Amino acid sequence: MFENCIIKYQRAPDNPSNDKDCILVTYPTKEDGSYKTLIVPINNENTDYQAIQKWVADGNTIQEAD
Amino acid sequence: MSTIEVNKITPVSGGTTVQVGESGDTINIPAGATIANAGTSTGFGDSLRPNAQALIINGSMEISQRGTSFTSNGYQLDRWSFDESTDGAVTVTQDSTVPSGQGFGKSIKFDVTTADGTLAANQYCQWTQFFEGQNLQLLKYGTSSAENLTLAFWVRSNKTGTYCMRFVKEAGGQTRYECPIEYSISSSDTWEKKIINLSPTAGSTTFITNSAGAIVNSNASGYRIAWILASGSDFNSGTNNTWTATSDRLGTTNQVNFLDNTSNELYITGVQLEVGEYTSSTIPPFQHESYADNLLRCERYYQVVGSGTRADNLMYFYAYNFDGTSTMFGAYNFRKEMRTGPSIDQTSGTNYYTFKCNNAADDFDGVNGFRGGIAGGEFYLSGGSSVGSSSAGQAGVVMGKNASSHVALVAEL
Repeated sequence: MFENCIIKYQRAPDNPSNDKDCILVTYPTKEDGSYKTLIVPINNENTDYQAIQKWVADGNTIQEAD
Repeated sequence: MSTIEVNKITPVSGGTTVQVGESGDTINIPAGATIANAGTSTGFGDSLRPNAQALIINGSMEISQRGTSFTSNGYQLDRWSFDESTDGAVTVTQDSTVPSGQGFGKSIKFDVTTADGTLAANQYCQWTQFFEGQNLQLLKYGTSSAENLTLAFWVRSNKTGTYCMRFVKEAGGQTRYECPIEYSISSSDTWEKKIINLSPTAGSTTFITNSAGAIVNSNASGYRIAWILASGSDFNSGTNNTWTATSDRLGTTNQVNFLDNTSNELYITGVQLEVGEYTSSTIPPFQHESYADNLLRCERYYQVVGSGTRADNLMYFYAYNFDGTSTMFGAYNFRKEMRTGPSIDQTSGTNYYTFKCNNAADDFDGVNGFRGGIAGGEFYLSGGSSVGSSSAGQAGVVMGKNASSHVALVAEL
């Protein structure tokens, strides 16, 4: 599901100490220059977040926020 | 008025029908009396449903907010998820081929574009609708009063043979139970209406009527129904019409391999799920609904905020400059309360969006943050792109600037 994606936490702009405000998933760029992004909340009921948790459980790591 | 007191009226010898009164007569049922029916009743109008709204959402295949043609796994037509792991390929489209005279305008079409004639053990292809557990408490699973279910749908394919339905009671903190049920597509390229009955004790089992058979009463997935198009040997060890406690029994060994030829195509529409046991002659009619009502139900799971292809929807949301340089916030109230706090599905690209404020416009590729609940939320853009044509605190609007610009909220199961 997340093959060749960049998965990174986002820092809250209005509260910089919160470096896990949400997760930004950036998919590979297509031939026309467009790319899909998925912004995922830290929310156990959200199935995209559940998928990321499974991706992490499979040995992958979410990049830290800038 | 005379009174006849009897316990039973039967036809005369050789007959099968008892008539009461003559044409034009009125047969009165006194107030407080009950007509008990343990058989089949006809001619009383539509059968009554315990569920006021259709349990299946978008059974008419009318709503397809993500597009009309798909080649990747995932949600495609609204509420319907496609998942295949074979060496073949299937293009899924919203189609206008429908059964004649049934009131449908759309169907879903599965078209094999790359064949896989020999499935590996771990390969499969299925099409699924997931249900929130809290919406199916009326099934009374987990009790001895668990209800029968009847699934009806129209199907058409050139690939005839035995197919399998897959009914799944999700674990929900207890045990997942599955029941495959076979059905046949008998005539090539001919619409056929299928009626599938599911008993809570199918296969003389008690999984569903015991407490672990309860459907989780929450907004999580509590149940799913899948149409199997292909299943390798790892996934076809189910026993027809029998509940089992083992997961991933997608079908039985009789399941055809729909992906075995690029000429194969299959259409489905008119999917309905009824509480109770019905036959082809007693099943209530499909609950047609307006496009708007259908869309509204789908929007609990997927809402388009804005799309560059919609001329009437160029404004995505109101926003304001946060710090005078590169941070923008934008508030958005959802049109319908969503199942849970949603993800944002966005199509980005160079200058796909623009922030209009202070008689100027700052283009950017896409927002990079969102936080919210089930009724609304807050987009933000931080770092990288400039929104410096405005000052901190000045408000404006965010609009799509490319035909492919697209922002949607996703809270699927």
